[in-house]
Amino acid sequence: MTRTTLAAMLMVASSQAQVRYEEILKSPAENWLTYSGDYASQRHSPLKQINTTNVGSLVPMWVYHFEGARHLEVSPLVHDGIMYLNDTNEVRAIDAARGRLLWRHRVEGVKNARASRGVAILGDRVYLLTSDVHIVALHRLTGALLWQRAFESSEKGYTTSLAPLALKNQVMVGVAGGGSGQRGFVAALSASTGEELWRVWTVPGPGEPGSESWGGFNHEHGGAPTWTTGSFDPELNLIYWPTGNPWPDFYGGRRKGDNLYSDSVLALDADTGKMKWYFQFTPHDVWDWDANETLVLADANWKGKPRKLMFQANRNGYYYVLDRATGEFLHARQFVDRLDWAKGIDSKGRPILVPGKEPSAGGVKVCPSVRGASNWMSPSYNPETGLFYVVALEQCDIYSGSAKEPVPSSGFRGTAGEQIPAEPGKMYMRALDALTGERKWEAPMPGPATMWAGTASTAGGLVFAGDDDGNLVAYDARSGKDLWHFPMGNTLFASPVTYMVDGKQFVAIATATDIFAFGLFR
Amino acid sequence: MHAQTRNPFAGKPDAIESGRKLFVEVCGACHGANGEGGRGPSLTTGREVRRANDTQLFQSIRNGIRGTDMPPYPQAPEKIWLLVSFVRSLSAPAAGANVAGNRDAGRQIFESNCKQCHSIAGQGGSLGPDLTEAGARMSLALLKEAIVDPNVRIPEGYKPVKAVLQNGQTLTGVAKNYNNYSLHLLEADGKLHLLDTSQIARLEFPEKSPMPDDFAKRFTKVQMQDLIAFLSQLTTR
Repeated sequence: MTRTTLAAMLMVASSQAQVRYEEILKSPAENWLTYSGDYASQRHSPLKQINTTNVGSLVPMWVYHFEGARHLEVSPLVHDGIMYLNDTNEVRAIDAARGRLLWRHRVEGVKNARASRGVAILGDRVYLLTSDVHIVALHRLTGALLWQRAFESSEKGYTTSLAPLALKNQVMVGVAGGGSGQRGFVAALSASTGEELWRVWTVPGPGEPGSESWGGFNHEHGGAPTWTTGSFDPELNLIYWPTGNPWPDFYGGRRKGDNLYSDSVLALDADTGKMKWYFQFTPHDVWDWDANETLVLADANWKGKPRKLMFQANRNGYYYVLDRATGEFLHARQFVDRLDWAKGIDSKGRPILVPGKEPSAGGVKVCPSVRGASNWMSPSYNPETGLFYVVALEQCDIYSGSAKEPVPSSGFRGTAGEQIPAEPGKMYMRALDALTGERKWEAPMPGPATMWAGTASTAGGLVFAGDDDGNLVAYDARSGKDLWHFPMGNTLFASPVTYMVDGKQFVAIATATDIFAFGLFR
Repeated sequence: MHAQTRNPFAGKPDAIESGRKLFVEVCGACHGANGEGGRGPSLTTGREVRRANDTQLFQSIRNGIRGTDMPPYPQAPEKIWLLVSFVRSLSAPAAGANVAGNRDAGRQIFESNCKQCHSIAGQGGSLGPDLTEAGARMSLALLKEAIVDPNVRIPEGYKPVKAVLQNGQTLTGVAKNYNNYSLHLLEADGKLHLLDTSQIARLEFPEKSPMPDDFAKRFTKVQMQDLIAFLSQLTTR
């Protein structure tokens, strides 16, 4: 029997396998089965066929043009040689080794169109969230529509853009729309039917704990949306979901108080949704610094003792370390130089505010910018180097605020942050000591400061990241040395992934219109 | 009279019939009496027509299409709107049509004759296209054609294929994708094969769809109508 025949027979067998929850627990390995690769959102692959010694000979293996796409933000999933990728309201399955289309499914009849950053996979199903807040289940091998179900009303202004997270027998979803005053929530849907199993509102209702932190503001319009994918610790059985800013974004006079649970991380029992703890990064936010950045889970020695930790490089400019079992604040350190709204973070994790930085009618200069010191672009964490890799933006804005009565879904957000023409932003790839936040190396990214690409780390000693000039770059994970790059011909809005098919490692990333997959030159 | 942006006859069955008569006279020579295509493209498969809004269709008919053989039809707007009504009806989703027939009986016919290869909401085979949203994704004309004469238009991803591998194994099914370097073959039992062509000793592409082409003979007119009534109403939204 020839090797190719054997490979073919193995492929036949493996392609049919169900994607079991136990398999997702082991991701990423050859497969990449969640938005961030793993439940801990480390975005770190054990693959090392491509490594510091040979990455210089990385070449494109295939390009797949996603006809009709204009702004792909997808982080693809890969299972047994099949890649699942999506654009707004549309999923495609392609051969992950050859870049050829297997099936496509476009959801018909969706009136709105928001970016969509990925799908989830479990059993024989692929799950897509549509812009009009439906969950759609498709057959993994054929793309046949199995069912779809609305999990909220788009008529109320809700939409969604995140990749859902499948775990156990449920699919976790969140919503966008907080910028127009919709009340955020996290929900667990049945993976079998789409039926809602539980829901946690991110703005408490009247009389509920935390409701006193709003100064009587209508909870139905508090915002705090849940527009990025959360993380999961199967041992603690806790789901961690980040929340967005309170509404209206730039004026806080009508919502006096901390505005719980905006700009927070919620630790939720995976089976019931019961909140075990929360931590709020930016109480009473008036700068639109939502906390929707990726929550990275890691186990490490903290002051000599093993501890279950959580890391986040927050939009407000501080890098945080929390105890993810208890929610205890352990440490914070600023990871951008341009930060002037707080003098520091106190021992409880609360920012020590600098007076005069609230947005005003005439405008006030505040750093970081409204886009944040970082944003939804994915960071990564390499347990071997102990480094946290994050794309950072050094920029200040002029923030204006208005006491005008806000009207939900009107587009008025209490006004805005505006870029200062003479002070364009600058982006950097930074490696932080994950426990201290100390900057270990950085790589400047010359460009217009308009990209949104994230990172992926590998056991090959590499960090792959999009840069601000449209390159995919491979950095030495320890030194930051630029070892390889490829001009993608496009601004990047997505994060790279890596996987293996038939013994060959690939690194893939979406540009605005195409998916590129790279491998070692044969 | 200026061109309106909305069809004043939209949704009026009489206008579709009047438009059909006019279409046969004015457009039939190139597009076929039923819009099935000839010298001009088919207007039933929907792609161009469904993507165009009513105003664009109106302009194309009135002004013609530059760089093609499509001539202008500089007549009264009412006449053009009648043509728009008929052309639109050719590719309108079947679900919008009022199809007579017993849908329950149609479901029974589907279960006995079609389900082996086609699925609805995850129930059924995978060798033929998923029909969960057949009423929303196909026009009535296409739906009828697909049942009666499946070889006219075999959809991409459903062309029959037989592959003999280098190891002697024979696989039959449909080609989800094929080029000089790879073949993606789906078998009737749902097994998907991702193959390099170097693994294949011999390939055959039968011209005929695996779907039987004698349903028009096998079913009575009433049965056919019941089946179409059932399939045309399959939508999810």
